Amino acid sequence: MANMIDINDVWKIYDVGGEKIEALKSVNLQIEIGSFISIVGHSGSGKTTLLSILGGLTKPSRGSVKIDGTEIWNLNDRQLSAMRNRKIGFIFQFSSLIPTLRAIDNVALPVIYANGHGKTSRKETYEYAAELLSTLGLGRKLQSFPSELSGGQQRRVSIARAFINRPTIIVADEPTGDLDAQSEGEVMEFFSRINEQDKTTFLLVTHNLALARMTDKVHSMKDGMLTHS
Amino acid sequence: MNISQTSLALQNLARRTFRTYALLLAIAIVSGAIFSTSTLMWGVNSSLNKGLSKFGADLLVVPKGSMISMKSALLTGEPSLFYMEGGIMEKIASIKGVKSVSPQLFLTSVDGDCCVMGNAFIIGFNPKTDFTVLPWLEEKKERPFQMDDVIVGASNSYNVGDTLFFYGQNLTVYGKLGRTGVGLYDNAIFMNIERAYVMAEQSHNTPNVKPLKLVRGQVSAVLVQTEVGAKIPFISFTISKDPDVKVITAGNIITSVRQNLVTLFGSTLVLSFVLILANALMISAIFSTIVNERKRELGILRAIGASKISIFKLIVSEAAMLTSMGGALGVFLGIVIMRVYQRTIIFNLKALNMPYLWPPVESIIMLASIAIAAAVVVGVAGAFYPALQGSRLQPYDAIRAGE
Ligand SMILES: Nc1ncnc2c1ncn2[C@@H]1O[C@H](COP(=O)(O)OP(=O)(O)OP(=O)(O)O)[C@@H](O)[C@H]1O
Ligand SMILES: [Mg+2]
Repeated sequence: MANMIDINDVWKIYDVGGEKIEALKSVNLQIEIGSFISIVGHSGSGKTTLLSILGGLTKPSRGSVKIDGTEIWNLNDRQLSAMRNRKIGFIFQFSSLIPTLRAIDNVALPVIYANGHGKTSRKETYEYAAELLSTLGLGRKLQSFPSELSGGQQRRVSIARAFINRPTIIVADEPTGDLDAQSEGEVMEFFSRINEQDKTTFLLVTHNLALARMTDKVHSMKDGMLTHS
Repeated sequence: MNISQTSLALQNLARRTFRTYALLLAIAIVSGAIFSTSTLMWGVNSSLNKGLSKFGADLLVVPKGSMISMKSALLTGEPSLFYMEGGIMEKIASIKGVKSVSPQLFLTSVDGDCCVMGNAFIIGFNPKTDFTVLPWLEEKKERPFQMDDVIVGASNSYNVGDTLFFYGQNLTVYGKLGRTGVGLYDNAIFMNIERAYVMAEQSHNTPNVKPLKLVRGQVSAVLVQTEVGAKIPFISFTISKDPDVKVITAGNIITSVRQNLVTLFGSTLVLSFVLILANALMISAIFSTIVNERKRELGILRAIGASKISIFKLIVSEAAMLTSMGGALGVFLGIVIMRVYQRTIIFNLKALNMPYLWPPVESIIMLASIAIAAAVVVGVAGAFYPALQGSRLQPYDAIRAGE
């Protein structure tokens, strides 16, 4: 099967006051279309750095990052932004909602950058946003502002947002970190369903080994290096 | 359910109300000042042009000593009391290119108690040769202008049909002039020049009035209309050979008032531009703070697909919305203040020898649009650099910035 994600010899070196921090050291990772993989690793091992490189948010110091055959770090800003908008759904490790927008608007937000792509009407977008929020147990919180939601609820709103443009890849950085066991189960169930239905590729970073074992493949990260288990 | 780049920008403005209002007011003050100043300038300028062109005389010949006061007379309505011999009219009429010549006689007693009524002055004119007074009548008259008739300028409170009493004479208001913007005309009471001579003579016999120092045949000014294509400088030069008279051209009056305009408003305008610059710098400083505060959000927007250009536009449009609202508020306040203080404003302009007519609505709309457009430019220019910085943030770094 073709690779959805193909990462080769990727390095990320931060320069902090003259000191070089090697956050990623020659990382290689191939992920097939429609697979659901997880990455585990200690804090500071480079998981978020890796996700943000393949999510088009940080430029690697060197190496190749291909998504669906496209070398993403060779794209211009407009193309890369379009890629982030349509192909990738990014779920951040920390709260990432826009405080001035209601939950439903936060979920629908990516659509304003889609420039009419996908041809969904505004009405359909909002219907889908409401559906996503309901699926994640927030059917009664559509009109709430982020400040009126609990940490776990905010997290679920940002999960819903990642799905609004029906991306082909979901990149999730500890998405269930602040959820209780039940919510976590619901979210994982939702992920699996989308994964099966739409052949969406999932890349999940988690500290929860039990959760990781439920995925197709577990990779572990240590000191900026990825090992496959 | 109406999310868009615009609503995002608006919601951002709504988030920090105090800051938004303070900025709005700062912009409003500057745009309001610029709008009001330019409206007043425009008013003076257009009333000059309008007044003098409609005035209909290409040249004005006056006794030598009255040159300076004559200019101010035309504009603000203080007549001069110098006279010259009427015989000059024939000489002028014989110059090649002169179409018509008509005399005017300004009457007022030295201490102004006989015929100055409030702000009104008496001007004698010759209805047979006139080409500057009668065309200004508000309505067409069935009967001709007669010996005991007077015509009142637009600023007078008399109405058609009223009776005025001068030097033992009953005079009837025959008609009223439209507003000319020429101070002298707007304040005047026009009577037949013949009647004026008679009145001057009678002033010597009337008890309790100062006699008018005026001899039949003398005139205060001769209005000259030239033929189309006539060489005005040549005519002016020929008339000026007479050492006792001076020639005033319309252009020459406009120039002298324009100089006043420039001194008065020029400094205001310079100040306005300084203020505009200060406004732009202030916007720049504040938007740079805003971009810093919102780094994380901008990073998130980038992560969900906003391009650098969208981020740039978001910040710039936020500034432009703010400053255009400020500009509109300024224009509104400017109009309100000019309306409330219009008497004072016109009075003060007059004191500076400046005639004033409100510019036509189209011009006011145009000036308002320019003031608002200038405010938008201030917003765009001010937010340009902060917006550029905001758009250049690496998404991941921006997101981390807030943690
Ligand atoms: N912008 C940055 N500047 C400097 N160093 C950075 C930057 N981002 C990450 N690092 C460093 O890179 C390393 C990897 O960080 P990263 O955030 O990828 O870890 P992580 O595996 O996601 O950790 P956690 O589980 O705590 O989220 C860390 O040592 C971190 O300090
Ligand atoms: Mg992390």
